[in-house]
Amino acid sequence: MLQTHDEADRGLSYSTPRWVKVFGIIAFVLVLLIALVLITGLGGEHGPGRHTPSTEQAVESNNPGIHTPPIEHSTQQP
Amino acid sequence: MIMTPGLRKFALTIHITSSVGWIGAVTAYLALDVTVATNQDIQTLRAAWMAMGWITGFVIVPMALISLLTGLVMSLGTKWGLFQHYWVLISFALTILAILVLQSETQLISRMATIAADPTTSANALRALPNTLVHSVGGALVLLVIQVLNVYKPSGLTPYGWRKRQEQRLIRQSADSKA
Repeated sequence: MLQTHDEADRGLSYSTPRWVKVFGIIAFVLVLLIALVLITGLGGEHGPGRHTPSTEQAVESNNPGIHTPPIEHSTQQP
Repeated sequence: MIMTPGLRKFALTIHITSSVGWIGAVTAYLALDVTVATNQDIQTLRAAWMAMGWITGFVIVPMALISLLTGLVMSLGTKWGLFQHYWVLISFALTILAILVLQSETQLISRMATIAADPTTSANALRALPNTLVHSVGGALVLLVIQVLNVYKPSGLTPYGWRKRQEQRLIRQSADSKA
């Protein structure tokens, strides 16, 4: 049931609109799913480490025969 | 405090521009994110990551903050209020959530763009940079939900909004009875 301003103006009793309840249920299920994926690790590693290649990978040269120093990653904004 | 019609129009113009701009920038980011996920060409990957860094830092983040700020001004400066209508409250909560996730993602994207821009980064390391599709698709969906709520404005007062209405009704009734 959609709640209208007229109902409030007429002094009828309060009830949460149906669309808000549906929205809340969907949000709750989504949060549960996300929590489940994070807890069980089904979605793989999460957090900063997930998006950063390992130091070994980062310093790996195109030419493995030549030793290259580790890359200094500055905090410079793109 | 209710804004004057002129000021309201001005704030609304900035709010719509920044909100739609935010969605547009996320869509452009999404295209680059798909490129990163599906492409193996080093030059393309490097360019895409750098562009993703710039779009995030210079467009998405400013648009998001302007949208939040003007949204607050629009809700508090008009009859809608921030806590009286569910559509306003939910839009506000989703915007805050989107900005929090964006804030954490921005640091990672910036770091990866820096790695990609570094000419000494190897091809394998560049290809190993994971895409951010889950977050960008999720973010785009959240922004679309906010957009729909703002366009349709589904009716529904919060308990606080309901009490405010009742108070106003009682004030009107007592004024009418005195008249």
